Amino acid sequence: MSGFQDNMRQSARGVGFLALVIAVGAALAIAEPRFLSSASLNGIARHMAANGLAALGLTFVVIVRRFDLSLPGVAAFAGMSMGAVIAAGAPLWVAVAAGIAIGAAIGMVSGVAISRFGLPDIVTTIAVGSICAGMAFLYTGGRSIFQNFFQVGITDLNDARLMGLGVSLWILLAIYAVAWFVMHRTRTGVAFYATGENPVAAHFSGIATKRYVALAYVLCGVCTALAVLLILAESGNAETNKGANLMMPAYAGVFLGAAILGGTSVLATLGGILLITMLLDGFALMGVPYYYSDGMISLILLAGVLAFSDTARGWLASFGIRRAFRRSAPGEKG
Amino acid sequence: MTMTMTKPAESHRHRTRRRLSRLITNLWLVAALVVLTALIASQRPQLLDPGNVVAVLKSFSIMVMMVLGLTWVIAAGKIDVSFMQVAALSNMLCAWGLSQGWGWWPAIGAGLAAGLAVGLLNGWLVAVMRLPALIVTISTAGLCASLAAALGKGTVIRIATPGPVASLLEPQLGGAVPLIVLPVLALAALAWFVQERLSMGRYIYAMAQNETAVRSVGIPVVGLTLLLFVFSAVCAALAGVILAENLASGQPMIGGPYLINGLTVVLLGGMMVHVGKPNILGTLTATLFIGVLFSGAALLGLPDYQRQIIQGALLLTGLVVAMLAARHHGERRKGG
Amino acid sequence: MAAPILTASGVSKRFGPVQALQNVAFHVAPGEVHALLGINGAGKSTFIKILSGIIQKDGGQITVGGEEVHFRTPEDAIRAGIATVQQHPELVPDMTGLDNIFLGRESARRGLFSRIDQRGLERRAKALLSRFPVALDLTLEVGRMSAVEREAVAILQAIAGENTRVLILDEPTSTLTDIEREDLFALMGLLKAQGIAIIYITHQLEEVFAIADSFSIFRNGTCVARMTVDEAKAGRVSLADLMLGEAIGDIFPPRAATAPGDAVLEVGALCLQGDFDGISLTARKGEVLGIFGLVGSGCDELAKAIFGVTPPDSGTLRLRGQVVRLTSPRAALDAGVFLVPGDRRTEGLVLSRAALFNVPLANLRRAAAGRWSLRRRRMQGDARALTGDVALHPPSLTTPASGFSGGNQQKIVLAKGLYSQADVYIFVEPTVGVDIGARAKIYALMRQLSRDAAVIVISSDCDEVHGVADRTLALHKGRQVEPVSGVFSRDALLMAGIMGEVAQ
Repeated sequence: MSGFQDNMRQSARGVGFLALVIAVGAALAIAEPRFLSSASLNGIARHMAANGLAALGLTFVVIVRRFDLSLPGVAAFAGMSMGAVIAAGAPLWVAVAAGIAIGAAIGMVSGVAISRFGLPDIVTTIAVGSICAGMAFLYTGGRSIFQNFFQVGITDLNDARLMGLGVSLWILLAIYAVAWFVMHRTRTGVAFYATGENPVAAHFSGIATKRYVALAYVLCGVCTALAVLLILAESGNAETNKGANLMMPAYAGVFLGAAILGGTSVLATLGGILLITMLLDGFALMGVPYYYSDGMISLILLAGVLAFSDTARGWLASFGIRRAFRRSAPGEKG
Repeated sequence: MTMTMTKPAESHRHRTRRRLSRLITNLWLVAALVVLTALIASQRPQLLDPGNVVAVLKSFSIMVMMVLGLTWVIAAGKIDVSFMQVAALSNMLCAWGLSQGWGWWPAIGAGLAAGLAVGLLNGWLVAVMRLPALIVTISTAGLCASLAAALGKGTVIRIATPGPVASLLEPQLGGAVPLIVLPVLALAALAWFVQERLSMGRYIYAMAQNETAVRSVGIPVVGLTLLLFVFSAVCAALAGVILAENLASGQPMIGGPYLINGLTVVLLGGMMVHVGKPNILGTLTATLFIGVLFSGAALLGLPDYQRQIIQGALLLTGLVVAMLAARHHGERRKGG
Repeated sequence: MAAPILTASGVSKRFGPVQALQNVAFHVAPGEVHALLGINGAGKSTFIKILSGIIQKDGGQITVGGEEVHFRTPEDAIRAGIATVQQHPELVPDMTGLDNIFLGRESARRGLFSRIDQRGLERRAKALLSRFPVALDLTLEVGRMSAVEREAVAILQAIAGENTRVLILDEPTSTLTDIEREDLFALMGLLKAQGIAIIYITHQLEEVFAIADSFSIFRNGTCVARMTVDEAKAGRVSLADLMLGEAIGDIFPPRAATAPGDAVLEVGALCLQGDFDGISLTARKGEVLGIFGLVGSGCDELAKAIFGVTPPDSGTLRLRGQVVRLTSPRAALDAGVFLVPGDRRTEGLVLSRAALFNVPLANLRRAAAGRWSLRRRRMQGDARALTGDVALHPPSLTTPASGFSGGNQQKIVLAKGLYSQADVYIFVEPTVGVDIGARAKIYALMRQLSRDAAVIVISSDCDEVHGVADRTLALHKGRQVEPVSGVFSRDALLMAGIMGEVAQ
């Protein structure tokens, strides 16, 4: 019976979220009619692909109750590495493989340091990110890499279309589908969530919690590398600051999605990142200068987590008795 | 009987012994600083030229100002990653105010007021609304960075006239010491007193360990948390104002590098005096250490990005050492 | 006895549709130790929360020292002289006992910017210790103290500042050994001699006769009986019957009628430096093996060593005759060993998740039926059947585990064990914080499990071990104590566990 209520609440959140997306879309379309043009919608799809991949990586880390602040550094180093491989004349798949390997390796370093050696996550990932950001300069001393970019076909990732939709969006949807299946339909996903919510009980249940924490960082590194790949495809060159704008939307997407849809999950992140990208592109279309974007995402993120926080909900519900009842149900203790 | 009786006199002796061992843990970073200075000076004697010393002390003062409050935030088990962008905002606001013809004092006041406002926002969201500190401060950092850039429409604002702090930044006392060091050190000394002698210092460290315990004895945890975030932001804002004077400009992108610098000095400093606990004296020493290291690296001709790599590696090393020390401490505790 | 210091009459409290307290009458006199009894959900906690100002009553009257009081906050209660020590006292581990006691009251002027006078603190501590002469090194960090020392620090903290007239202790003995419990009772004696009234919540009925002067029994939100211990003794009153409201028989199921079967788990000379040494035992299908040991005897460590959490230094483990090395819980579960851990809230359950998540957690392979993806419908059916077998109440698969009482949380852990289909079940402290009704059910389930698997029950409750097990041994300071011949009697087991001696 209460399972039914649970499903009800979940679908109510889903419906509310859809209504929010439609409302935001309508508001942006009214403010700027070009928002609904195909060029604008394609832009949203492309940006959502890059932002969404970074946010997905962060989702794994947040599910195991950690943070990762190395995103910009990893993106810079992986991006420059892929650029260097392409410039050296290697085929695209080699460059992509190199980027994925580098993302995975850096994620492994952070993950093992945090899970196996117990270092604090925030500061460790800041340090690793700083080292990576420095290493991004190793190839060219900071100059842009663009040689061979056209010949190798990387820009197809940005321009090519499949059934009317950009390839990058298909990539995003495919990866999200796989991630959704793994996180919500397999034992691996259960292990991830158990590791985040009670690592001790998970360990006692035979789950290799340290491995899952490390794995979360590895996946985050890989996703970050893929995200920056799409950015390189869009711009047609590699620069050391290419990943600088990935982190804020990723955090906003994960936490806004979790706040609105009631918990960190693959679908919540997808929803969050859709909302964020719509707003970002909409504002850009309206001619809002670039330097407002971080601030706006920050505001949305803050407003989102604030509106859906326990405290705020407690204030709203403090007039009702339901919550008082739930807070100290007599079943809790004698 | 499981409980044991101990004479009070013994507790006294225990305390003196503890003070002695504390002195030794105090010394290692200072010793490292001396060794580092000697090493670099032997390769590049320019390190000790008055001009270079002034530069080192100036950046030391600004850095200390920037992270004085951050030290306590981290000591209390929270995190603030907005401080460097608060400094950037205050820096830009100050420069922008001057460009509007406000005069120095109103401009400085505006910078500090911005710090106060962001600190209150951070503190309210973390302490009252109970949102995670990282998410809150990462957002306010983004907000401040945007506002800072917006003030100059994305570019630098130059400052034409030197202000009241300018004379403090000039070399004095034999040409090697900028006077700004003195008020900064005085403020740090005051903070040290608060941390060591007043109840607040004790509550900060207790909070990091067991916030519920602190709350349950009636200590105003909400007020304390609010105060810590406000102090952190106001300190950073002050650093931003000094930066405006020092650079004779408002630089919207100035915040970035200070994040990792600030965290490095606070965590490195947390490895002395009270091991494993960020503290004011440790932060001061670590700031000077990093200042000498960077000055030396520049004299040795290392490019910027290599310094960035060194710094990240140093921070990681510091983390590992701190963790090993804590583990050692824990084992001793288990054994004893 | 003197006039009551604290009285309550007609106190009631309603949470939504549930009447948590109805017309409660209560009183306690200075210097009286008064036990508060009742199964989970009887209303004890709600009543205590009202007395300590955490929640407000809907109706009724409470007086302290003859004057009517209305508590709106915990501070109001403290000001009126009612101090409360929570079940798990919150202390700062890195600070000394002294600093913890005076935390927040370091100087006369409260606040963030008052000067700390360490000498003055030591003087006040000395004065406090002269009033309550506890042998306790207050310069030691709390993190290095034993459980009873921490409890003593928490009690001193509660009574240090204000002029305390009533002290409420919420299940203070649940984590203490028998010897530590005596220390605590000694401290309670000191408080009593100072004229402080003590209200004391416990699930351990024998403690009532050991320490209390009188007791109240709560059932269904009201106080159904109040009597002195002497009256209860004279009238041969059964406290358990009063708590449950009906005459119950023995809570332990009958012992195995048939001879035990094959040896499933054989432990040979198991040793872990500093915790236990030379442990050899055999657990057989068809019987319950009981191990009695106090906290610190190495019991918990032994269970964790067998389960692979902290692998032993030396010794052998045989499962069904095969030597195995269990280096992780994963390996232990694969080999067919399941641990019902002593701390179910952190080690046993993901509290934020429902039974549906927790039950299959230790055997996800079964939940996926050999594949990678979960067979969700089958998993749900199994979880429903198993929570039914353990009589989970309320029988919800989707309520987070945190919403269940201690006893029902333990039942979820049991269902998780059943789902794992192990050959060896090890229970550590299976009924701490579990009310008497759920206890009987848990014991019955152990007996049921023992038909197909070997069951080992490890506990610091001697009566539990003796009552539920077919065969017992004791652990004392890391060494096992076994009867010379036959089985331990209850008293011999107690002696073996406390003194490490085998009674002749």
